[in-house]
Amino acid sequence: MSLTAVSAAPARRFLAQHRGVAVAAVVFLILLAVVDLISAGPLSYFDISFLASGGATSALAAIGQTIVILSGGFDLSAGAVISLVNVVLAQSMDPADMEASIMLWTAVGIGIGMATGAVNGFFIAVLRLQPIVVTLSTMFIIQGVTLLIMDKPGGFVSPSLGTFYLGDAITGYLPMPIAVIGVVLLAWAWLKNTRLGTAIYAVGSDMDAAAAVGVSTVLTRFLVYVIAGGCYGLAGVFISAQTGSGDPLVGNPLLLSMFAAVVVGGTRLGGGRGGPLGSAIGAFVLMIVVNILLVLNISAYYSTIAEATILLLAVLAGSISESSTLAQQLRALKTRLQARRAGTLVSQLPQQDRRLALAPSTKAIALGTPPSFLTRNAETLRYALPAYICFVLVVLVTQFWLGNTVLNPGYWNSLIVLSSFLAILALGQGTVILTGGLDLSVPWTIGLCGIILAGMVKGSDAALLYALPAVLLLACLIGLINGLGIVFLGLSPIVMTLATNGLLQGVALLYSNGTPDGFSSPMLRWFMTGRIWVFTPVVLFMVAFVIFAVALLGRTAFGRRIYGIGNGVRAAQLSGIAVGRHLVLVYVLSSLCAGLVGVLLTGFSGQASLGMGDDYLLPSIAVVVVGGALITGGRGHYLGMLGGVLLLTALQTFLAGTTLPYATRAILFGLVVLGAVIALRDRRS
Amino acid sequence: MKMTARLKTLALGTALAAGLIAGASGAQAAEKFKIFLSMSFIGNDWQAEAANMVKAMAAHKSLADKVDLQVQVAGPNAQRQIQQINAMVQAGAQAIVIFPISPTALNQVVKNACDKGVKVFAYDGEITEPCAHNISIDQEEAGRVTAEWLVKKLNGKGDIVLVTGVPGTSVDNLRTKAAKEVFAKHPDIKIVGEAVGMWSQAVARTELSKITATRSWDQISGLWMQAGCYTANAMQLEAGKTAEQLLPCAGEGSNGGRIQMLPAGTEVEGAASPYAPLGAPRISYASPPYSGGLALKLAVQALEGKDVPKRVTLPLPLVTNDTVKLCKEGTWQEMKDGCNVFLPSLVSNPGWFASIFSAETPEIGLNAALVGQPEN
Repeated sequence: MSLTAVSAAPARRFLAQHRGVAVAAVVFLILLAVVDLISAGPLSYFDISFLASGGATSALAAIGQTIVILSGGFDLSAGAVISLVNVVLAQSMDPADMEASIMLWTAVGIGIGMATGAVNGFFIAVLRLQPIVVTLSTMFIIQGVTLLIMDKPGGFVSPSLGTFYLGDAITGYLPMPIAVIGVVLLAWAWLKNTRLGTAIYAVGSDMDAAAAVGVSTVLTRFLVYVIAGGCYGLAGVFISAQTGSGDPLVGNPLLLSMFAAVVVGGTRLGGGRGGPLGSAIGAFVLMIVVNILLVLNISAYYSTIAEATILLLAVLAGSISESSTLAQQLRALKTRLQARRAGTLVSQLPQQDRRLALAPSTKAIALGTPPSFLTRNAETLRYALPAYICFVLVVLVTQFWLGNTVLNPGYWNSLIVLSSFLAILALGQGTVILTGGLDLSVPWTIGLCGIILAGMVKGSDAALLYALPAVLLLACLIGLINGLGIVFLGLSPIVMTLATNGLLQGVALLYSNGTPDGFSSPMLRWFMTGRIWVFTPVVLFMVAFVIFAVALLGRTAFGRRIYGIGNGVRAAQLSGIAVGRHLVLVYVLSSLCAGLVGVLLTGFSGQASLGMGDDYLLPSIAVVVVGGALITGGRGHYLGMLGGVLLLTALQTFLAGTTLPYATRAILFGLVVLGAVIALRDRRS
Repeated sequence: MKMTARLKTLALGTALAAGLIAGASGAQAAEKFKIFLSMSFIGNDWQAEAANMVKAMAAHKSLADKVDLQVQVAGPNAQRQIQQINAMVQAGAQAIVIFPISPTALNQVVKNACDKGVKVFAYDGEITEPCAHNISIDQEEAGRVTAEWLVKKLNGKGDIVLVTGVPGTSVDNLRTKAAKEVFAKHPDIKIVGEAVGMWSQAVARTELSKITATRSWDQISGLWMQAGCYTANAMQLEAGKTAEQLLPCAGEGSNGGRIQMLPAGTEVEGAASPYAPLGAPRISYASPPYSGGLALKLAVQALEGKDVPKRVTLPLPLVTNDTVKLCKEGTWQEMKDGCNVFLPSLVSNPGWFASIFSAETPEIGLNAALVGQPEN
């Protein structure tokens, strides 16, 4: 980009284009200034060097993630790749060799990252599978491989790597981490102006349009994952240098903060806009928050709340402009008020039938035989069946391997009880995904609702009568907050729900003071663990729930409108659907489902615990996609998602019955999920 | 780095506002030892209890005038803990008490802190960097002793189920490996199921449900769990077993599990099935949550110039049906006399960890673990 003419207009355009980066940079500088002002002494070069090394791993990984997101993709395997590189380096370096080659091991790390990226790229670009499931599967597989290589922390990384990567590029002026990030960003700046760079933005903006103008979408998307893998590999090398050893779990928790960094940096999720520079700054913003919390001595219970607030404020600040959703909503409100005053609002017009009167046709229309059930539901079946076929296979394998399965009512009862949580979440998460969104606030909605329920009930059935509605109402309120943030503030669903999740975590900690007390009442426990003949009561409830869910999405106006919104917001709007209102309702439904799961889990376990929902976020997304839904919205059937739930639960039940080591189980799990979605691939040429 | 005047005012304003919220704790801190606690997640009972005991220790009258304690949480993210420890050193920490997320990833940053004269104390987990002080139990011993108990209880013969902790951590690895070595010596002991329990009662229930979907309780003769015996007993009762039929279970030291160990029919205030005396055959071990409080006490001693050992191996708290003893009020003296389980009316959460007594820490007792209040 060359700015030769220094007139006002191009400058403003430049600013508008790079608004996200600019805001992230300003936020970072403000936070840095806060640290400088309130810490004991002025920030020295030494401190800056510390900060630089602290944020470098996240920044490098976030750069890779950004490139994937720019191309319209999503990469959940990033954290796992970092762990893999870390353990490979720590395991293969010779502990006697204090002067290991930096070039060699950096190349090894980047190479491993690129290799995993190539696997992702192959499935996503060549086989056209959905990025979120492919990378979810590879995440499990890579985590398994990592544990096979190293089953506990240990190993050795040569200090020469640490000296190099944590040292100075220019002594006293430029810390090496900054230099490394700078080199990567320069490489991107070069790449961006090549044909490939343009192609990445084009593919992310509109894949069909890009293909139509001759961009090789397959090659572009493939290379994107390879390049991103290289960035994760470098991040893995950096964390190895920083820690001097291996830990098979070190990279996994970096995943969510990586997305937060990308979003704070002004990159739009969904592709086409933004860039790695912003994400690198975003990573440093998130990192420096740690220092701020420390310097201000903010109670540990408030830390997630503070982080969520910073995330929201940074993203809001980046998006406020004339054309932002908030401004549009305010303008719409103004017009609406004007119309009301003038008496021209649609609802104020006299109610009368204004439809065009069509004269009934006199000619009899020759109706052929109505299409068969199979023809009518061909598409639904094609996308829903693979999950069921895999499910049947898994049940058969269980029968042959462990026995006592197909004819054992106890097996089916356990399977349905264990499936009930995901099946309920699948309705909420599935509906959100049908509209093209994603609900990341599920874990702590479950946690908070469960904790509050247990706290109110304290073992009394009478208290359950008022506690249950109160908790479900709270869940609706959470959904309402999500929905309003997304619709009226125009925040992307991922940002809004991620922030809500952080807020809820803080609230749950404050409410429970760190240790939730109370326990479920006898009736609720009976509902989840008792028996009516051979079946647990919740099994009967699930039958009713599935009928309700299928009817809600398939037979009601609400359901049809959801599919309409998912297939095209603009088209839905123009055909008279109140898009905003329905989106809010969708998030309310999702939170309500999560709240219900919180209640049922409390009944199942007898008590509620902090973090009880953490294991349900990724599976809730996976089952929806394995069940044939499109992550970008508009396609999917609840029965398909239910198939996904049954498949995953049956698979886990089978694996738990074996004595395979965890690493092997993780790999098998990933492979089966991948196998199930290969059957789902679009055969569009 | 240059700032415009406006930016500076803004930053100052934010800082002032935040300072007001945070309260004026820094005012008299000048002559106190500045000590930081970097804990992992606060999302589980053990962590919350350990944090309570550290805070109670800092508030005890013997330390309150000496210690200015600040608590920070790193979550499950080792990278973040590295950053946090760096920031603590920058903020002038004299000692840092750490629940280490990783035994190895913190080595460099801990070494760096030591080089600057900061005392580093790790509790429960371990930091392999030699300059750090480690206060924990012997995890291998925990795995070995409990496995040996189970083998003996089963007379060296039977099909058993293992429920392990968080895969990829040293603690889980050491315990499970030691236990499996014991089982391997007895060819008639067969491991028929192995599930990842994540040290959580809730996860243990899900995993046991999966295992019992294809294998009924009658086909299992014993359980070795890192956490979840309380839940396993509850599930057997739900499946129609009587208290006498409960399977022997080697596992964690939760209060619920210990109440179940009391002879069936014992009068216990606040008990409600399954949080009730059942006479369940058990051995209960624990990583005691007072280790953080002890780490703080030792850190202060080290700052006062006393000689503190680099490694403190805590005695492994072990309770069997023969040694389980109910505390009537839960006073420190009572615990010293050997009681090791608390009334459900005092401890409503059955997952709460009951091994809170140490002769080394008369400053912290039941109230410390429950609400962070020190003893008098």
